[in-house]
Amino acid sequence: MTSQLFAYKRETGQWGLRNHVLILPLHSALASSARAIADASNGAVAISHDWSGEVDNDLPRILFTLTGYAANPNNYAVVFLSIGTPNEKQIIAGAQSLGLTRFTTLSLPEIGSMEKLQEKAISVANEYMKGAVAEKRIAAPWSAIVLGLECGGSDALSGITANPALGVASDRLVELGATSVLGETTEILGAEHLLAARAIDPEVGKKIVAMVARYEASINYEGIDIRGAQPSRGNIEGGLSTLEEKSLGAAKKAGNAPFTGVLEFGEKPVVPGLYFMDTPGHDIEQLAGFGAGHINVVVFTSGRGTPTGSAIMPTIKVSTNTPMFESIPDLIDLDAGTIADGVETLAQVGDRIFDEILEVANGKETKAELGGHHEFALSRMYNTVV
Amino acid sequence: MSASIKAFAHGNRGVGIRNHQLILPSVICSTHVSRRIATEVGGVTFAHQHGCAIIGDDVAGIDNFFIALADHPNVNSVLVIALGCETIQGQELAAKLLESNESTQYRIIQESGGVEGTVAAGVKAAKELNAAFPPATLETTSLRIGIDVGREVSVLTELQKALQDAGHEVIISESQSSSADSFSRLAQEKAHIIISFPDENQPTSGFPLMPVINVASNGVLHQAIRADFDIDESAILNEILTLIDSVASGTQTIAEKNNSGEIRAPRVVRSV
Repeated sequence: MTSQLFAYKRETGQWGLRNHVLILPLHSALASSARAIADASNGAVAISHDWSGEVDNDLPRILFTLTGYAANPNNYAVVFLSIGTPNEKQIIAGAQSLGLTRFTTLSLPEIGSMEKLQEKAISVANEYMKGAVAEKRIAAPWSAIVLGLECGGSDALSGITANPALGVASDRLVELGATSVLGETTEILGAEHLLAARAIDPEVGKKIVAMVARYEASINYEGIDIRGAQPSRGNIEGGLSTLEEKSLGAAKKAGNAPFTGVLEFGEKPVVPGLYFMDTPGHDIEQLAGFGAGHINVVVFTSGRGTPTGSAIMPTIKVSTNTPMFESIPDLIDLDAGTIADGVETLAQVGDRIFDEILEVANGKETKAELGGHHEFALSRMYNTVV
Repeated sequence: MSASIKAFAHGNRGVGIRNHQLILPSVICSTHVSRRIATEVGGVTFAHQHGCAIIGDDVAGIDNFFIALADHPNVNSVLVIALGCETIQGQELAAKLLESNESTQYRIIQESGGVEGTVAAGVKAAKELNAAFPPATLETTSLRIGIDVGREVSVLTELQKALQDAGHEVIISESQSSSADSFSRLAQEKAHIIISFPDENQPTSGFPLMPVINVASNGVLHQAIRADFDIDESAILNEILTLIDSVASGTQTIAEKNNSGEIRAPRVVRSV
């Protein structure tokens, strides 16, 4: 196979690994319409969410998430469905200032009804799709890849097979000049000192430790010990005993490269390197944070198996054990269980993951993309009812 | 008295005005598979972001919310679609539902051969439920009507009285900002129909299990999207009883026609 990357260059200098036309509802009442529009279009994608314009403590986080997501370089164009509130306008203006150039805002009150809004949006989306399909990929540098590292439904083999193998691939990419981002703060609790020790300087190390401490304190503030909620029941059934054991395994996704910096939820990395992003363990909320942070491809390791994906980021699923890979073949792209079976070495599986990342970056569709899995969830730091 | 309404006997769920089969995803990860099954069998489902990475009181709270939706009188049968490793375990949820209604089944993605396997198994299970629990019709005159109050409604007292005089039970829920949480509360209270008076700055919205009659204010937004509303507030006292009878007997509201219906589970903590 070729080792050359081909991608779509954006005016910001960022690279898209996909050329999506995203239908983005700015109000939950338009989410069903967004999905109907995408389904009726020639290949546009949509997300749905449950924010109805509430102005509460989570507002800044929600605006930041939707703004960053709209401007993700994997989006060729965005069709915003809007009620026309000032906060919605702020999202659109913010996405523009982050470099989104092709977008159309369809205002429900100006158009007059949801039915007409859908008709109009389908024709706008199809126009954009023509341009998206016609654009050719061009040779791109390794720095074009901004990889997200995620795990979900972990089991006892996660820290032995899939996660360290992903670490091998992540290290190779970082060495070549790409960016790799480890997320899921809940899943590095108890292992943060090991990550901090790999920081490029003591300041970054302190930030990693502080970010994890902040997260745990915010949960304790709710009167709940996170160590009682993690590992989850599925994790325990999969053979994990404690949160620390889960974390030590989860952290291995980030290999051995030095940490260049930390990122707030949904913040985009500016220079290449390995980062830690403060995201929740909820797989889909965390994927939304990655999307907002302009990650353009994700590798997701799993011990139990999950169908989920993203509307805009190709998500490569890696199984930690072979029986799971064989039992749910349409969910998983690669099997790392071969390491435990003694069939392959860690390095060999790491190289396979690396090759798959490159192929997917160049356009090969993942299982989640083929299945049309476009889950999305907004991350909130506060309750929705009192 | 209200005219006689053609309704459905739904076992212990009660008498409903819709004959919905609910394809209930126990976790966000199974929402897409649930939608594929619902589309194929004509059931109702909804996207949500719950079921996993929830903590504290929300574990029981979300579980009870799902149980309340599944036990709603407008529901005939329920197929729970689980992933398998989530906090809200699908088979336990189904077991709780089965305690009161035998028209319940569940399928687990991680144990049914993945997406395609689960879609096939789910479609088969949904069809079996439909065959085993055909619609049983009866006549009723009394409904539970939920009123979602998102703005100052001058006719509220009169409306409530008119509905009660016609033999209906009325539940009032005040919404803050959007109607989402109010709809969830009214669903848990087992309202058959919702009359929604959304905030003047909010558009219309729907709910998967209950027809929502959206009532327009004179505000700029509402009049700009008047076509999405079923009725003006100024006409409601004169027309509501006829409209209720018509919707209860099967006429779709505009929100139902638009398939508009996202849900939001009330969360007292936050996800992690």
